[in-house]
Amino acid sequence: MKREKITLLSLIFIFLISLLSHPDPAIANSLSCLICHGTSEGVIFIDGERFSKSVHGTLDCTSCHLKYIDTPHKTLEKEIDKSILDISLSIRIKSKADPVALSACNQCHPDVFGKVKGSVHGQNIFKKKKSDGAYCTDCHGSAHYISPGKSGQSPVDFGHVMETCGGCHEKESISKDYGFSPKVLERYKESFHGKKYILGHKKVPVCTTCHGSHDVKSSKDPQAMVFGTNRLNLCSSCHPGANNKFTSAITHKPVGRDNPIPYYAEKTLIVLTISVIAGCILHVLLEAYAIIRDYLREKRREE
Amino acid sequence: MSQERHQSQVSELPEEVERLNIHYRIQHIILFTTFILVALTGWALKYPEVEYSSRWVRIWGGPETAGIIHRVAGITMLLDFLYHLIYLGYRFFKGERSFDIVPTPKDLVDFFQNIKYFLGISRDKPKFGRFTYSQKFDYWAVFWGILIIGSSGLALAFPTKAAFLIPSWATNWAWELFYIMHSDEALLAIIFIFFWHFYNEHLKPDVFPMSFVWITGKISIKNLKERHPAEFERLFPKASIKEKEE
Repeated sequence: MKREKITLLSLIFIFLISLLSHPDPAIANSLSCLICHGTSEGVIFIDGERFSKSVHGTLDCTSCHLKYIDTPHKTLEKEIDKSILDISLSIRIKSKADPVALSACNQCHPDVFGKVKGSVHGQNIFKKKKSDGAYCTDCHGSAHYISPGKSGQSPVDFGHVMETCGGCHEKESISKDYGFSPKVLERYKESFHGKKYILGHKKVPVCTTCHGSHDVKSSKDPQAMVFGTNRLNLCSSCHPGANNKFTSAITHKPVGRDNPIPYYAEKTLIVLTISVIAGCILHVLLEAYAIIRDYLREKRREE
Repeated sequence: MSQERHQSQVSELPEEVERLNIHYRIQHIILFTTFILVALTGWALKYPEVEYSSRWVRIWGGPETAGIIHRVAGITMLLDFLYHLIYLGYRFFKGERSFDIVPTPKDLVDFFQNIKYFLGISRDKPKFGRFTYSQKFDYWAVFWGILIIGSSGLALAFPTKAAFLIPSWATNWAWELFYIMHSDEALLAIIFIFFWHFYNEHLKPDVFPMSFVWITGKISIKNLKERHPAEFERLFPKASIKEKEE
């Protein structure tokens, strides 16, 4: 509590100083917002310290939260760019608090926005008006805390992207609605690539390597990198000389009865392993028994 | 295979006889060093989700370096296997044909006799020949293992090349099959070597701490008589007849 009070007092102090330099109180900067949002409970909390360290730390709150202009905020008074407003209407369903702020990503990242809009995730939001499609913050985390790319903290970097995709793609409910298997990640982890990934290999492909990131397409979409003959280009980017018979190696399909040869081969090998081991152990134990028996017998005879 | 037939006219028995010539000894040394290397560097891939696996693989210089060691050791082992086959072929064409390692019905008889002896049903130990059934099992298990693990390992190490050899009707299951063959069979091989080979050639009281045949290639007459009586009789028929008479 004491720490919070100090923070609050210092923030107010800084705010007052900042008023001197900003005679127009209508221009709210991050610090003035953080007086409430950085400390109080009950309002949307923003960790000021983490925010300042993020790649967006130099932005003002109102750079994205376009509808708010004063402190504390009242009502919509500001003119918002029409393109942003249009997006915000389309993605209403993704953000109850401030869809305008979520749409504001487009201001600085218009190229990425274009890709996302055309992706299977984007289409789900823009066309089907569903909240399941991933939008910026679903993968990158809150815009307040975007970590620098090389920090190893980002949910979309090499070390975390699997978990991030898994957040939705391992969910039974979502997978049922869209007809994909919730086991794809599990299968990936059992695959040639996945096992190496888990052990810390740095050159293996992760979800986004083959499926794309912002422009991710359904695997049934002819434009998808993994679709049909596109796969040849995809695989040969790491495996030069890959042919059609090579590209069938990765399917994310489980080894099941529908693919009987590996299924029964595995079962046979398990039975073989268990019986060989059991036979060997039994033989060794029997022999050990006989050796001890003979030894004792010999000893008794000597006595 | 390499044993020279000692003339039974020689009344004096030699102290020891050669059991494995220099070629077999070199083949064995390459085989076990590469086996240990592939087993250690490949182990983590079997259970990567266990935390120790990542630590273990870091000891080997990380997954990329471990992978290189694994491939180099694996290919060396295959070359060793090739050396063995070529050497066998060479001996065959030179007329030094020996089929001592080939399983025969006698091995089955020996096996049941041994079990009877273990259980105390019979007091007679089986009269083993040059190779006991345990040793033949050991040899053929490794032989089979190299064929299965080696072929699938080559396919996994050079997948784009292997893809040309896979018939198109097999593409839906061949890769899974290679993977299962390599991984499950390797586990079997490692456990088998630990239980069977280590017990028979290291831990068994009469060989402990190990049988030195792999270094010297020679077995003492005493051990030959005890452990391979049929072979002793075959090599020294007169001496064994004399012993029986005595």
